[in-house]
Formats: sequence, C-alpha cells, structure tokens
Amino acid sequence: MGQLIVNGLALGSIYALVALGLLMIFNTVQIVNFAQGQLLMLGAFIGISGAVTHELPIAMAWAITMAAMALVGIVFMVLVYFPLRGRPPFLVILTTIAMGIVLENLALIIWGPLPVSLPSPVHGAPLRFAGVVVSMHQLFTFATLAVILILQFILLTRTRFGILMQATAQDLQTARLVGIPVSRTISPKPIVVRCRRITGGADFSGRTNYGRKPGLEGICGQRDRRLRQSSGCSHRRLVFRPDRNLRRPLHLVELPGCIRLHRHDRCSCRMASWPLWREKQREGVS
Amino acid sequence: MKISPYLATAALATLTIPVFTRDGYVIQLLNIAILNAIVVLGLNYATGWTGQINFGQAAFYGLGAYTTAIATREGIPWIAAPFLSVLIVVLASLILGLPTLRLRTHYLAMTTIGFGEIVRLIIVHWEPVTGGTSGLRAIPGISVFGFGPQGQIQHFYLLAAALAIAVIVAVRIRHSTLGRAMIATKDSEIGAEQSGVDTVRTKLLAFMIGAVYAGLAGCLYASSIRFVSPDSFSGTQAVLLMTMLIVGGMGSIAGCIVGAVTLTILPEALRFLGQWYLVLYGLGVICIIVLAPGGLASVASVARLRWAAQR
Repeated sequence: MGQLIVNGLALGSIYALVALGLLMIFNTVQIVNFAQGQLLMLGAFIGISGAVTHELPIAMAWAITMAAMALVGIVFMVLVYFPLRGRPPFLVILTTIAMGIVLENLALIIWGPLPVSLPSPVHGAPLRFAGVVVSMHQLFTFATLAVILILQFILLTRTRFGILMQATAQDLQTARLVGIPVSRTISPKPIVVRCRRITGGADFSGRTNYGRKPGLEGICGQRDRRLRQSSGCSHRRLVFRPDRNLRRPLHLVELPGCIRLHRHDRCSCRMASWPLWREKQREGVS
Repeated sequence: MKISPYLATAALATLTIPVFTRDGYVIQLLNIAILNAIVVLGLNYATGWTGQINFGQAAFYGLGAYTTAIATREGIPWIAAPFLSVLIVVLASLILGLPTLRLRTHYLAMTTIGFGEIVRLIIVHWEPVTGGTSGLRAIPGISVFGFGPQGQIQHFYLLAAALAIAVIVAVRIRHSTLGRAMIATKDSEIGAEQSGVDTVRTKLLAFMIGAVYAGLAGCLYASSIRFVSPDSFSGTQAVLLMTMLIVGGMGSIAGCIVGAVTLTILPEALRFLGQWYLVLYGLGVICIIVLAPGGLASVASVARLRWAAQR
C-alpha cells in the first residue's frame, strides 16, 4: 500500500508538472492547450536524441532540449496563438489539436514508432524505509515538482511581470487601457512555458503513443473552480497528498466588474479600472 | 431560399459520378463522405448555429450504428432499425445534454470528450454484445419489405437522397423560429433570454436534433458498409468531424457538405505522400482556420468580393 502511494505520487508529480504547464498557459493567455501531451512527448524525444543517440552529457542534453522547446514554443505562438487572438475559444482548441496531430506525426517520422527510454539524471541506491522503496529518480521528480511549483507561484504572483501577465490574460482591453505593454507582455510567455515543459518530458520514458493521454489528464486535473490558482492543479493530481497547508490560497481580489487582480499588485490597475467596471455594472453585463 | 446555381451544378455533377467510374473504391469513399456530411450537418446544429462545442457527435454516430447492427443481427426487421437508433440516441443526448449544457467552452468540451470516451469504452469492453475491438461483421443490409439497394452504386443514390432530405430539413429549421433562436443563443445568451428565447431548451433541442442526424447516419452506415468497429467512432473521429465543420464553414449548410467531402477524400488523395500526409493534413487545417475564418464555404464569396472590388 505504501509502495502504491509512493508510485502514485511519483506519477502524479509528472502529471502535475504537465498540468502546471497548462495552467501557466491558461493563466496567462486563457487558452487550453490540447497539444500539451504532444509537446511533452517532443521534449522527451529531443532529450533522448541528445542524451542517448549523441551521448551528450545529461546537463547539456537538458540545455539543448530547453532551447529547442523554447523554439517550438515560439513557432507554436506565431502559428497558433497570435493569428487567433480574439477568435472563439474552440477555434483555438481545434488549432491546438491540429498542431498536436502535426507534432505527433513529425515525431513518428523522425524517431519511429518504437518506445525508447532516457536514462535518469540521478544515480544512487534507492531509499528504503518501512518496506517502501523510493528510487532516486522518484525523489528527483518530487524535487523538480516542488521547485517548479514554487518558481511558477513566485513568477505569477510575486513578480511585476507575472502580475502583468495575469492582468493581460484576464482582460486585454483593460490591461491595455491602464498602460500595460500588451504584446511585449504576452510574447515571452510560451517560451517560459516550453522551457518548463521538458522537465516533465524527461521524466517520462519517451513514447510516441503517450501523445494524447497525459495532456488530457492534465486538463482534467485542473478542471476545477480553482483553475487560476497555482495550488489548484497540484491538489487535484496528488490525491494522496495532504498539502492543504503547503501554501495559502491566492486571495484574488474579486471586483464587481470584470477585472480580478492580486492584492499585491503594484501596477495600480485597480484604481485605473474604476470607472470601467462601474460602467459595466450599470449595463448589467459582467 | 435561393439556391446558388453553382451549388446545384456541383450537386448534379456529383450525382453523375457513378456513370463515369465503376471503381468500387471511389464509390465507397463517396458513400462514406455522404454519411460524414449528414453527421456534420447534425453537428452544425449544436456547434455552428447554437455555438456549443460538441465532441460527442462521433459517439452518437457510433451509438446509432451499433444499435442498428445489433438489432438487425438479432433478426429485427430493418424497418425498425432507424427508429430504434433514433430512440437510443435521443435518450443518450438527453442524458448527456440535460446536466451539461449549462457548461461553457472548455468545460463543455471536456464533458463531451468524456462522454465519447465512455461510449467507446463500453463498445470496446462489452464484448458479448458489441464484439469488442474486432467489431461486428455480416450486418444485414437495408431492406424495406424485401426491397433494398443492391451494390454500391444503388447505395450511393440512396445515401445521396438521405443527404438531400437532411439538407432540406436543416434549411427549414434554420429559417424557423427554432433556427433563429439558435443563432440568437450563439450570438448572445443574455440577449437571447432578454428577447424571450429559452436558451437551455434551444441548446438541448439543437443537441438532440444533431444527435438524431448522427444516429440516422450511423444506422445507414451500419447497414450499407455492413461492418462496424469502435475505431470508426473514437475520439479522433469526433475531432475529425469538428474539423470538417470548421474547415467547411461553421453555420453554413453548403460548408458542412464541402468540408465533410473534402476532408474524407483528402487523406486518400494524399496517400502518395506516405508518412507525411498527416503532418500536411494538420498544417492544412491550421492554415484554413487561420487564413479563412469562414471556412471553405466563405472562400468563394470572399474571392468574389475581392474580384468585384478590383474592378
């Protein structure tokens, strides 16, 4: 039973990483990316090409993977996201699905249909206590999740840039009105996201047919009222983990109108948007 | 309603195809394209006109096909099969629609994907009845009191007639109170409710009519192809149907047919590309979504406008 929980947690951590990537995209550009699973697969395969086929040192393979995925992120953004801004959401959903088909088949052509596996970057004897075996790789996964979770949390809620990103996602018009440079704020997002993704990818033994599944489960994981909260999706994934006290909720400030901002926000959006939401309220449109 | 002369010519030209080719492969492909067109017309009610994402259409298609397959293999006369299929599909759409149609965008997409998965898993795992992954073969053909189409060409004309009826019903509904209510619901739910439209009822009706289309198409599929397997009704198929709708042109009846026919024939036509065909297919879909927001149906009218503007 204890072993089951540990294994579940390890797999859950990987899904949580994927879900965090999805959340990052949703939080910042309000798109649900159905090609997430395929991107994960791509990250894993690029890692394998570097570390196994070309026998590069692991750290270098990771750096290459990150750079390559950032590039994929830019292509993805130019091809899918920018032309479809302001169009109905399910067009964007479909485009991401089509992108997924493209990526999946490209990977099939390049790497073939056979599963391959990537060596773990950490070595060492597994820890044993009370009959439960925890491998170093699992520990590494937990650590990665913890680091990424905290980094993302800090990025989104504690930095000026993160708050700007959230503001542009929640209401582009208002963000523009209060003087946020919208395009400049949006552009780096996918890069950040893509860099992050490979950590998840490297944890999977790369398999092409893994394409669609983790993405969907990731989305399920965060299909939740708390879609916006960093802690929401990892709560969901790590069912066993009593991490309610891991961090406090985000305290989003709920304004009666359309805009929702963090209490710590320093860009004075709230004051500037005052007349705006008053107007909307009068019209009865929220 | 005015019928475009180009469309009429194209439709008539399609009807003469069997005169020129006796190739069973081509006719079979056309038959599947026509069936897809009926299903996409159904999808158009919920997605194109009412604006609700529905990835469950393939599941309704499958339910209709499997109901007919199982019923006719049990010896029930064929004439009862369409009614049975419609009954099952309407029940399923009520079960899915009643609790979920209050959801929006991503959430509705997720639930309908989930529904499709449930139906597929039931089909795969209920082996004694559905034959599991290997599907059901030797399904009795269409036969009404001993009369029925023989061979693929007769089936082609029968399916074309079914498509024509489906189109006529769609046109009639589009210009009825219900059709306008659907468009209003899509444009603004709040606005529609202000004008006295019961949006929940409209959405549910759109969903159910769409499901009935899929169920009937499934019934025709089972008894004209005579073989059903879960692969034909998987989540991939649902995405494909949605793609047909969007590539063809959402909310346009001609667009639905153009999209379905194009995307059924295109993969076969691109087979010479080998492994690359799915890559190009995906890129092509993205191009159409990005470059032609109104789908293929709008390309002609946009081109005509451009041409007129240049003169």
